[in-house]
Amino acid sequence: MTASRLRLVIAAVLTAAVVLVVGVAIGRLSSPTAVVPGTDSVEAGFSRDMQVHHEQAVEMSMLVRDRTDDPEVRTMAYDIATAQAQQAGQMFAWLQVWGVPQAPSEPTMTWMTRPTLDGDFAGHEHGATGEPSGGASTAPAHVPGDPMPGLAGADDLRLLGQLDGVEAERLWLELMIAHHRGGVEMAEAVEARTRDREVLALAAGMITTQDSEIAAMEDMLAERS
Amino acid sequence: MAEPRRPRPTTPGTGGAQGPTVKQQRDARRQEKLAALKREQARAKRNRVLGIAAAGVAGVAVLGLVVTYVVTSGEPRQDPASIDVAGVQTFDDLTANHVAGTVDYEQTPPVGGDHAAIWMNCGVYSEPVPDENAVHDLEHGAVWFTYDPDQVSEQQIDDLRALAPDTYSVVSPYPGMETPMAVSAWGAQLTFDEVDDPAVADFVTKYWKSTNAPEPGAACTGGIDGPGRLS
Repeated sequence: MTASRLRLVIAAVLTAAVVLVVGVAIGRLSSPTAVVPGTDSVEAGFSRDMQVHHEQAVEMSMLVRDRTDDPEVRTMAYDIATAQAQQAGQMFAWLQVWGVPQAPSEPTMTWMTRPTLDGDFAGHEHGATGEPSGGASTAPAHVPGDPMPGLAGADDLRLLGQLDGVEAERLWLELMIAHHRGGVEMAEAVEARTRDREVLALAAGMITTQDSEIAAMEDMLAERS
Repeated sequence: MAEPRRPRPTTPGTGGAQGPTVKQQRDARRQEKLAALKREQARAKRNRVLGIAAAGVAGVAVLGLVVTYVVTSGEPRQDPASIDVAGVQTFDDLTANHVAGTVDYEQTPPVGGDHAAIWMNCGVYSEPVPDENAVHDLEHGAVWFTYDPDQVSEQQIDDLRALAPDTYSVVSPYPGMETPMAVSAWGAQLTFDEVDDPAVADFVTKYWKSTNAPEPGAACTGGIDGPGRLS
């Protein structure tokens, strides 16, 4: 092979390599959704933890329907149980499509300790409406392994299964309001940390619905106090 | 490439017969110079080609590394289907009918099959639970940790309870098992002697709420409690 031909071949290989690298880089950087979330991703962490969170809402809501005849509470509980069971199914299916295990790869809430897309850590990404957390703290709002916000304890659930009528309604409303607030916090946390359109759409729906249901349940609770 | 000027012969033509003439000497020097120049040129050319080739190879190698990094640097993935659980046994063609009364299961503890209409609430139990209700949990994607109380220590029981996932799992004693401990999912079972056996964690990662089960994610609450429920 002559020297000039060798040069030509080398130049061609280098050009092809540069085109490949630039192409792959542009493709990856310009379309984040093209990258399927991995097992340690924010999206997978949210999908696993929120399934557990929703499953408890279903459990509580099915439970209160057995403890009261009140049509208003039974309707709200039916709405929440069916909606959240359906949403849990969506998140289950995402994990399947992403090809990652349903089982957590990290302690609960780890994804919420990751920096937001803006580079912030703390969980005040939604206008800092929450309770003051000691001034301008930069510490993460949660630590890995924390229980999820708003989850009811085993004792609360046991008690709910023993109460009847308006007492059961009141406890369920209290538990469910706190549960929804925690759910909204988790949905806002994922909104601040993902560009995945499906995840963003479901999170936005959760925030809208659960905020409005919190207001409705607060009225219902006031009427029963 | 200026060459130092050679001193001119001061007496041209002298000493002609004894040695090479001045002209011959001059020709020889010129030939020598030319040969040296050609050697120099050939060497320079060779070096240039080698240099370009080396740079090319190095460049391709660097670019190859960059491409490899960009392509593989995405989030780590762990496809459950690609997880090999060392020592796991799997079972196909399990039926899933709702039946009344007891069922004679082929495996001990059972790994699926016909079961009771009502499922058992997931959680930790201090007493043996009915097979027929626990199998309904397996159908819903739960994993079931069992231990033979005669073959394990209190510490191992505590460790097993700590290892079990918070939801979609049952932990219960199962007297008369062949091995100290076992973990079962719908159509899969792993027996083990030590809680920290890495195959146990692999089993949970692969089979917890797995689509191997007919109805993963169906309720593991709102059913009945077995005897001795602790949590």
